[in-house]
Order: sequence, then structure tokens, then C-alpha cells
Amino acid sequence: MNLNELTIELTISTSLSLGRMLAAYILSLILAIVTGVAMARNKYVESILLPILDVLQSIPILGFFPAVLAVFITTLGPVAGGELSSIFLIITSLVWNMIFGVYSSIKSLDPSIDHLVAVYKLPLIHGFLYIYLPASKSSIAANSIISWAGGWFFLTSAEVISMGRVEYRLKGLGSFIIKAFEEDNTMAYTTGLLALFMVILVSYLIIWNPFTMKYTGTRTLLGFMKAYDVIDKALSKTWGFIVEKVVAAYNVVARVKIKSTHIIICSILPPLLYQYHTRLALDNSLYSKILEYGVDFLRVAPITLIRVYLVVVTGLAVSILLAYISHTRLKLGKIIVMSGEVSSSIPAMMWWPILLPLLKGFPQGVMMFVYLQGSLWYVFFNVLIFGISSLRESIIELSEIYNVKGRLYLSRIFIPSLLPSILAGGLSASGGAWNASIAAEYIVLGDLTVDMGGVGSLLNKQAQAGDILGVLSTSFFMSLVVVFINKTIWARILGKIRGYYVVE
Amino acid sequence: MVTMSSSKNYVVEVVGVSKSYISGGREVEVLKDISFEVGREFVSIIGPSGCGKSTLLRIIAGVEKPSRGRVVFNLNRKPIIGFVFQFPTLLPWMTVLDNVILPLIATGVEKSSAIEKARMTLKVVGLGGFEDFYPSELSGGMKQRVNIARALAIEPDVLLMDEPFSNLDPLTAENLRSEVLDIWLSSILPVKSIIMVTHNVEEAVIMSDKVIILSPRPARVLKIVDVNIPRPRNRKMPEVQEMVDKVYEYVS
Repeated sequence: MNLNELTIELTISTSLSLGRMLAAYILSLILAIVTGVAMARNKYVESILLPILDVLQSIPILGFFPAVLAVFITTLGPVAGGELSSIFLIITSLVWNMIFGVYSSIKSLDPSIDHLVAVYKLPLIHGFLYIYLPASKSSIAANSIISWAGGWFFLTSAEVISMGRVEYRLKGLGSFIIKAFEEDNTMAYTTGLLALFMVILVSYLIIWNPFTMKYTGTRTLLGFMKAYDVIDKALSKTWGFIVEKVVAAYNVVARVKIKSTHIIICSILPPLLYQYHTRLALDNSLYSKILEYGVDFLRVAPITLIRVYLVVVTGLAVSILLAYISHTRLKLGKIIVMSGEVSSSIPAMMWWPILLPLLKGFPQGVMMFVYLQGSLWYVFFNVLIFGISSLRESIIELSEIYNVKGRLYLSRIFIPSLLPSILAGGLSASGGAWNASIAAEYIVLGDLTVDMGGVGSLLNKQAQAGDILGVLSTSFFMSLVVVFINKTIWARILGKIRGYYVVE
Repeated sequence: MVTMSSSKNYVVEVVGVSKSYISGGREVEVLKDISFEVGREFVSIIGPSGCGKSTLLRIIAGVEKPSRGRVVFNLNRKPIIGFVFQFPTLLPWMTVLDNVILPLIATGVEKSSAIEKARMTLKVVGLGGFEDFYPSELSGGMKQRVNIARALAIEPDVLLMDEPFSNLDPLTAENLRSEVLDIWLSSILPVKSIIMVTHNVEEAVIMSDKVIILSPRPARVLKIVDVNIPRPRNRKMPEVQEMVDKVYEYVS
């Protein structure tokens, strides 16, 4: 491949990946807004969807593979089906925190806003366009930073989809880099990585960072505000136009007295799709098989559980320390967050060439690195973006006046102020760590296979053997454990601090 | 329940309204058999903190349902209700003008005429020229003026006010009280009745034609006092002071 061909190939691949990411982002945004608003505004929707989302969030990305591939590829063919399953897989890695972001920002709206909606009898569509959507803007902005990174991180997994012996490759930057790596094409590999860095860097500098700075008031980000303002103006204009047309159309419809119907949100339970795929009857042998998988799972679960929480604690310690540095040295803080944004976006497989030499001698270190890559960032962004911006000026002033400094400031002012963000980040980080166990505990690189044991390793081996039932059962048991821990431990801690740690 | 009728000369009639809710497994009674009529007049509801005044106002607004009893509007159509919240409740992402036109647009008023009405009411409350400001750029008194303008812009039949001056500094509150009275007395807006919840006795006496005094929880109507003092009133007038003392007797 000469330089010209390489450039053309790279441009096409980059555009395709970017297109996939954008499509996944826009769909996630719509999904997050509709679901988040519905959950926050309707008790019934909330009581049904909240536990379902909790489960879906904790199902590892790999758990979606067989079901998604089966449905999309068998019904739409490998081209359109492959494309759709790729977008779907990216969505599964970026939509959850966006949904919970929208949900919690509307939940925390001042109750008098609800009275306003009720007293002036604002129709659903008006409440949606004028109140709930603008109210969740800052949370959408800050969560987009996390999601965008999550999307790139899973890009290679979403572009090179393998299930057993069958592998589907989609043209894109992720598959381009993997191919270059496999063919030992240093030139293509380096330019591919460079293109990836550029796309990530530029998207953060001109879109996500200024977007978040504008709507959350955080100052710890690097970004080109002027470039973003052009985009923001164009988007606001288009949005204003859409709102006006929607409201005008609604008024016409309302005048002829057609009642607006409620939006019914359907959730798909991927495990149920298994039957569609295999057309297997539910008989006794199936149950006993699932039970066997359960025993296998229990054997490996404790070691993964320990690793997961070790990673969460490490992530918390690192993030709090970095947050403190960012808080006291703003310029350094900006660089820290920017480096975080880029590092968190680098797809898992891109780290391999760097980690390969370490793998033989120090596999535990490599495993922990991969674990951290999939988990640290949730708590990092939560603490460094939401946390720091929630520190009240008046509290900082108070500590200056009374000369509260150093360790006392850290333990009595800084950490308690950030506690809601620290815990929210810790909760997401534990979910991320469970997901990351798949990539961290079973590493195949060329001829080298490193098996560290654990749930992730088990899932990997089952997937490689094409054991769909095994993958689904293990994912299911894993979700059960995650939900159980969330409901018994995390929910209690979060409930306890709510109300105590809100600075008035 | 809110119903409409047209044969009598009251505007709003509250008939035997009771309200209770379940809290911690126990039934808590907030309002007990409340009845009164409101004509084309300014009525204040006064009572101790937490007695259920605001709940009563929300029941009149139709936002909350009474456990028993009903609210009747003597109009031939659905009543238009303006509500002045205790706190300004402005949407921070909207300009002053957009905040005021929101209820108008929601009822299907054309945008251009909604803007016209909003500009007019903003001028009436003394905020002409502040249309493009955001709530964060306004003082507390100005925010409360926007709250009032929003309630007036929809040209309500009945204006409900929930302790509208309680969170303002005394001077701003004083000014705003007389402005609201001026708007009401000048009849430039088609408001038929004003019902204001307050726990400021002096404010109630100076502003209203009638003061309804509620008992502590569960709130019952203790006394309805007609304030037959000629306007304009001020707190130094002996009749006003006498009336304030009289109302205080019932409140305490």
C-alpha cells in the first residue's frame, strides 16, 4: 500500500468510524432523554425501568454479542446487520450513564417547577421541550465526555465482532489499526493511531469540553470556546426552529382535539432473544445445564469480586488525589483532565503493543492496567468534573477565613463536599470493572495466551468455544451478583449520605 | 373537585373542603371542612405556619384534589388561573420574556400575540426593558415581579398568590405590595378575584377586602373578617391598627 492509498483508506475508515460513533451517540441521546424523562416523571415507568436498566447496565458488552449478532445479521445480512450491531454495541457502552444523568437531573429539579407545570397546565410536549430537556443539558454535557470516551474504547470490539469461528469485520478506524497490527505494517499502524488520537483530541477540544464548560460552569477543562460557539449557535438555531415547528404542529393537533398518545418505551431483554437464535425448547436438560454454569461461575466469582473492588478502591484513591491537585492548581488540572480524556478513549487493543513486553514477566500488572482502563475513568470524570464544580465558593471562602488547610481541608471540606460524586463514580466504576474483567482476565496476543482465571476469563473461554448458552448464563449470574451488591451495599451508602452532604 | 356554575354573584366558592394524607402509616388531616365564598374582591387567607394554607391554595388552583368537598367557579367556562409562587420559580435557561410567555404558548396563543401580552404585563410590573435578561441577572424583587407578570400575562379570572412577599426585603415587599394593589384597583387587567395566602396580619389588612382566618392544623375557618376600611390604606391609620389587633386576637 503506497502513501496515497493509505491516506485514502485511512480517511474512509476514520469517517466511517466517526459516523458510527455519531450515529450511536445521537441514538443514545434520544434514548437517554426519552427514558430519563419518563422515569423521572412517571412513578410506574420508574418502578419498572429502574431495575431493568440496573441489570442491563451490568451485563458485560460481550453478553450482548450473540443475541445482537443473531438478530441483526440473520435478518438484515452481514453488511447492514453488521453495521447495525456495531452501532448497537457502541450504544450499550455509552447510553447508561446518559440515561441516569438525565434521570437524576430531572429528579433533582426544584419541586416548585412541578407546581409550575401543573398550575399552568403545560402539555407534555411543552414540558419536555422547554423544561426537562434544557434542565438536563448540563448533565448531558458532562456525561457526554464519559460516554464519548467509552464509545472509542469499545470501537475495536464493535468493529471486529467475533463469535466462535465466525468473524465480522467492518471497515473503520478500529479494524484498520487491528489489521495493520496483524500484518506488521508499522507505517499503517502508526498513522492509524495518529488519526485516532487526532479525532479524539479534536472532538474533545472543540465540542465536548467547551460544551461541558458552557453548561456546567466547570473550569478544569481545556477547550476552544470560540470554535465551539459557532457550532453551538448553529445547533441552537436549528433546535429553536425544530421546537417552534413542533409546538406549532402540536397546537394545530390540539385544536382539532386529537389527544396525544403516550410514548410506550419497549425494552428488549437480550437473554430472551436466545430462544429466537437457537429455537431450543426449554426442557429439564437446559435447566440442569444452566445450573452447571452457575456452579462454574461460583467457583471463579470470588477472585473477580476481589479484583473488581481492588480496582475500584485504587481508582477512587487516584481520582481523589488528582482532583485535589486539579483543585489547587487549575492549569495542571486542565492538563490532567485532557490527558484523562485521551487515555480513556484509546481502544483497549491499542494498548497491546505497549503492554506486550510486560505480559510475559508481569501479567498481573497488565491485568490490573486493563481493569483500571475500564473502570478508573467513571470515577475520574465524576470526581473531576461534577465533584469539583460542586465545591461551593462560600465553603472555599469559609476555609480560607478560618485557615483550614492541608489534611484538615482534605478530610473535612474537600472529600465531604465531593462525596456524592465520589460515590456515584465508585458505583459506575464497579460496573465498569466487572465489564473490564472480560478483557483483563484472558489476554490473547498472537501466539501468547494469558489466562488469569475469574469470571471474565470464563466468559472469554465460553465465547471462544461458541458456547452461547454459557456466555448468557455467566452474564446472567454476573448481573445478579452486581445488582445484589448495588442494592445491598451501594444503595444504602448513597441513601445515607443523601441529605447529609448537600452543602446549603 | 372543581365545578362551574353561573347563577350566583360569587366568583369562587369553596364548599366543605377537607384534605388528609397518609404519612408514616398514619392519616394526617390538614384541612377540615373549609367553606367560604370569594366575590369580585381581594381575599387574604391567614393562619399559623404549616396549617395547610398553601395546600388550600393548590386545591383552588386545581393542582391538588381535596379528600372531600369541592371548589366551584361561577363562570360559564373553564376558569383561567394565575399563580404567584412563594419563590419566583423562574427557569434559569430562559430569558425574562420567555419565562412569561411559556404559559401563554402552552395554551396555544400565537407567539407574536403572546410576546405582545408578555411585554405589556412586564411593563405593568415595572420590568419594561428587561425582556432579554436572564433570571440570574435580576435581583430578588425583580424575579418576584417576573413571577407576578407571568401570572398576569395569561389574563386570569382568579389570581392566587402564595406568600408572594415573604421572601423579599421589607422595602421591596412594601413597594411590590402597593404595585400589586394599584394593578388590581386600576382594573387594567381582567382579574376578577385575588386570593392571597400570608402569615403577615398587617399585609392582609392593608391589602384585602376580606380576611379568612384559619386555625392550626387541621385548619378550620376560625373567622371571616370584612375589612371595610377606605383605600388607600397605610399601617399608621388607626382603623388599620384596630383591625390588625382584631385579627391578631383570632390568630393567637
